Amino acid sequence: MAAQRHLQLVPRSDDAQQPAAVDAPEVTASAPRTRSGRAILKFDRVGFAYGSRTILDNVSFEVEQGEIVSLLGPSGCGKTTILNLIAGFLMPTGGFCLAGGREIVGPGPDRGVVFQSAALFDWMTVAENIAFSLRCAHKGRRERDAIAKEMGALVGLGDRLDAYPYELSGGMRQRVGLARVLAAKPTVMLMDEPFSALDVQTREALQEELLRIQQHTGATIVFITHSIDEAIFLGHRVFLASSLATGTFEEFTVALPQPRDDPENRLHPEFIRLREIIYRRMRNPGAPASRTGAP
Amino acid sequence: MSREKRAYLIVAVLSPLAVLALWTFVTHQKAVAAIILPPPEAVFASLIDMLQRGYSGVALSTHIGASLTRVSVAFVLGSILGTIVGLIRGRVPLLDAVFLVPSEVIRPIPPLGLIPLFILWFGIGELSKILLIFVSVFLIMMVSAHAGAQSATVDTLRAARSMGANSVQTFRFVILPSALPQIMTGLRVAMGTALTILVASELLGGDRGLGFVILDASSFFRTTYVFAGIIIIGAIGLASDRLIALVERKVVHWRGKQH
Repeated sequence: MAAQRHLQLVPRSDDAQQPAAVDAPEVTASAPRTRSGRAILKFDRVGFAYGSRTILDNVSFEVEQGEIVSLLGPSGCGKTTILNLIAGFLMPTGGFCLAGGREIVGPGPDRGVVFQSAALFDWMTVAENIAFSLRCAHKGRRERDAIAKEMGALVGLGDRLDAYPYELSGGMRQRVGLARVLAAKPTVMLMDEPFSALDVQTREALQEELLRIQQHTGATIVFITHSIDEAIFLGHRVFLASSLATGTFEEFTVALPQPRDDPENRLHPEFIRLREIIYRRMRNPGAPASRTGAP
Repeated sequence: MSREKRAYLIVAVLSPLAVLALWTFVTHQKAVAAIILPPPEAVFASLIDMLQRGYSGVALSTHIGASLTRVSVAFVLGSILGTIVGLIRGRVPLLDAVFLVPSEVIRPIPPLGLIPLFILWFGIGELSKILLIFVSVFLIMMVSAHAGAQSATVDTLRAARSMGANSVQTFRFVILPSALPQIMTGLRVAMGTALTILVASELLGGDRGLGFVILDASSFFRTTYVFAGIIIIGAIGLASDRLIALVERKVVHWRGKQH
């Protein structure tokens, strides 16, 4: 049965309430992911508005360590705003955003972002791009080279470390974008439609690779997409947002078999089933999720 | 060398040769008076004459050296200061506001219009000449660097900050490299302008410099010497532009290659 429910929303109160303390997470490398039960990311009645235009209202959710959450929704629903709030590029106009138990006050290497545009530095080689966060942290050349090599190999670019981004294909550029975020050993990886400009084959290959890397590193990932397939294939949970200005979104738990990077999962009955439910919800938000019975 | 590159090179060499041929043809047909447009070989002879005996008692190398020194000092100082001010203006709105009106009031004034003022303020010595070139270079570089400082994309700036870059590192690793293409183009434009202003600046008096040679020769209707001087300045312009373009290709290797 689909683990589908409307998110329990806490009514907005005017009391100046302190955010609930969240256990500070320990970064655990490797070990296949299991839900740790520890919230590494917490949105507590978050609101965001540009002037009088409300983008988010009263949005609450938690993301656990080692989890992949897909944030699915049409353009303009506010999903990128959520990512920008986690990244610290924007500040909420209401509520609290916490990462690792601390309120987010700005961008930081604990919350790396993989951009749709890749946003690589064309004046730096692949290795320099990957090791950028270490350079900012004043790490020595040897350590930077070692990490660039390690992360480059992890994303399959071990032999292109001396290339410049403009010499790479779109898929390879996204691999660099991924590697440079991994190199910073972030608590959460934020991915803003990183594969949406790629062709289908490259896109699917990168989805599988992302899952493999996630299994390997135990990374926590918030993945923004407007593709239902991508959301289901990657996510342990899918948040379906039609309009976050009303504060509501639906949550689906994805029960696909391990290993999650198996391409056959795209043909799994659970995948097909969820796809149908979510598709209907997106096309017709008011209607029941399934024609064949209650969810 | 690829076919296109070879074709480019051939055309680039043939075009001035064609102009030279046309020039030779026109002058040998006696279509124009030699005092208006002397034949190429007469200009060449004057060039040789200047090389051997100098001009107005001063060696040609001294004339060239005087001009190059003026241009170099003004160009180096003007481009460094102009780039710094432009980059700051591009990133700090309040400082941009400080510079906005003064720089936009000065920018449209033709350098020749400044000559009387500069004579009053700084006399007719080296300082006036160098300052006149400096002002032109400075203004061009300020505008180029200003535009360049704003060409870093939102995503690259955000990427840098989310990888832990502080504001100095963001400037050093993202804003400055993003500005380089425009800064390099600015340098080429500024060098061309600097050589133009050089001749004007040597109107300010003095007895050496390529501008002086051209102006002096023209007042005595020694047209072949005028042309010889123009050709030397042109050659300096061509050489300096190719040099900057070469540096540009090395420094801004990513230009035009992004997807």
